[in-house]
Amino acid sequence: MPYEFDEILETIKMTEIEHFDIRTVTLGISLRDCVDRNIDVTKQKVYDKIMRFGKNHVKYAKEVESTYGISIANKRVAVTPISIPFDMFGMEDFIEIAKVLDKAAGEIGIDFLGGYSALVQKGMSNGELEFIKSIPFALSQTKRVCSSVNVASTKAGINIDAINMMSDVILSTAEKTKNEGSIGCAKLVVYCNVPEDNPFIAGAFHGISEPEVTLNVGISGPGVVLEAIKEIGSADMRTLAETIKKTVFKITRAGELIGNKVAEKHGIPFGIVDISLAPTPAEGDSIADILIAMGVEDVGAPGTTAALAMLNDCVKKAGLMASSSVGGLSGAFIPVSEDQGMIRAVERGNLSLEKLEAMTAVCSVGLDMVAIPGDTPASTIAGIIADECAIGVINDKATAVRIIPVYGKKVGEVVDYGGLLGKAPVMMVRELSSKLFVGRGGRIPAPTRSLTN
Amino acid sequence: MKISEDEIRRLTLEAITELGDKATPDLIKKVVSKSVSSIGMLPEDKLSDNLSSGRIILTSFGLNSPGIIAQITKTLSESKCDIRDLSQKIMDEFYTMIMIIDISNSPKDFKDIQNEMNRVAEELKVKIFLQHEDVFRYMHRI
Repeated sequence: MPYEFDEILETIKMTEIEHFDIRTVTLGISLRDCVDRNIDVTKQKVYDKIMRFGKNHVKYAKEVESTYGISIANKRVAVTPISIPFDMFGMEDFIEIAKVLDKAAGEIGIDFLGGYSALVQKGMSNGELEFIKSIPFALSQTKRVCSSVNVASTKAGINIDAINMMSDVILSTAEKTKNEGSIGCAKLVVYCNVPEDNPFIAGAFHGISEPEVTLNVGISGPGVVLEAIKEIGSADMRTLAETIKKTVFKITRAGELIGNKVAEKHGIPFGIVDISLAPTPAEGDSIADILIAMGVEDVGAPGTTAALAMLNDCVKKAGLMASSSVGGLSGAFIPVSEDQGMIRAVERGNLSLEKLEAMTAVCSVGLDMVAIPGDTPASTIAGIIADECAIGVINDKATAVRIIPVYGKKVGEVVDYGGLLGKAPVMMVRELSSKLFVGRGGRIPAPTRSLTN
Repeated sequence: MKISEDEIRRLTLEAITELGDKATPDLIKKVVSKSVSSIGMLPEDKLSDNLSSGRIILTSFGLNSPGIIAQITKTLSESKCDIRDLSQKIMDEFYTMIMIIDISNSPKDFKDIQNEMNRVAEELKVKIFLQHEDVFRYMHRI
């Protein structure tokens, strides 16, 4: 037999018992040719283009799923950052475009579409200003559209003006979606050093250097890594690293295969595999559980950051060997609401916002799906975003903030979104003010690290 | 497999030398296009064979009882599937069986065979998984 008995059973065990799935196949579509002076024509062009390339997306993914016996959890679409091709439009027009995106996404049968985005790390055009103002309305009037705004980069520095604007946008979005636990904020990411080929919603968009259409894949598999670590018991660090690498290698290979096959069916180029370990609220599909299996008592214990750094590094090393086109965020995700173990750690009081921030320095992607009290001042949110941006800018990595100031909720309360978004315990935020600092406005200059030439 | 312009030029020059005096533009064209298509076809067939075989791996496990393999193989033979390899293990009252099947000569496609196997699995109250061979090759072979 060309394969060992154990090899075949190992794969079956991964897919059937350990929650191994491909997290997302994301179809990237350029909308740069959809602009017209007339907003109605523009809307029609956007709709037509998404339908043309996306109409078979779910069908193709399902066919590949059944051929290889690996399930694909999400089928999604990312488009060109809306503010770029449609820069000449006003706020009302942008909301109209969001509605068209929502409609097209619904008709091709996907749950989320990313790309209601802008890149303003160095400054804003008039169109981008209008676009940012439209975000709370767009997110509260649509279901499937996800938004992201890049406010800092190692090359440009940190745009504090944009951060201040985004803090108001976050609060306004929370208020406008207050009847659903401020869910609008779960669809809004503030980025630093945003990658242009990230397949993971909510931060996905089809970058401006990408081809006409492309297919990117995000893999998953915390459950598989967890089981492998449990199996080796109390082995030393080297063995631990080796075990993680071997496991991640296998799941990345599967991701590469699935991505290639879905792209082949579409007849479009395959883009990248994002090797991020992404948890889900399902029991046993948790990054926090991996950290605990590595030996810390709970997430938040001293040693957590080191464990996470090691995990993240092993993921990268194995992923690079397994795929020739690694891209996107490619690390380990530590969202709070989407990970049972993280939720538990917050509820037990073991994980604070500050420790979480330290952890984001060694992995992707940042403060993700963190619920905070609804009465948190905008300047405090701006301070939190600025801190994350600083970590990203100085370490030349992507960081992000997807924070939910849950309208009307206080520390200790819980907001439940159900499904993949999970449930978020409201975390404590320090009441010290950052108002005077962020109130200065302007841009923090790029660090010396930006001068690499 | 694609043939570069340089290679075609080389073939043409060779054909001219070979044919010598008999060379006419029509004849050369004929000879060259014939050899181009034969070069183009051979490796391509081999390539596709290698990249995506018609082989699938069937894994079945559950409570052991007489006639499970008989039922599975009967259904496979009805669909003209070729069994290339088979291996099984029995632990206490449980069995695990792995088969490599070639479906390239079957009139049915992967999906149909998978549906039939689901029916068999339900009848026998066992688990049957069908997966394309590539997924194992990708995960376990460098």
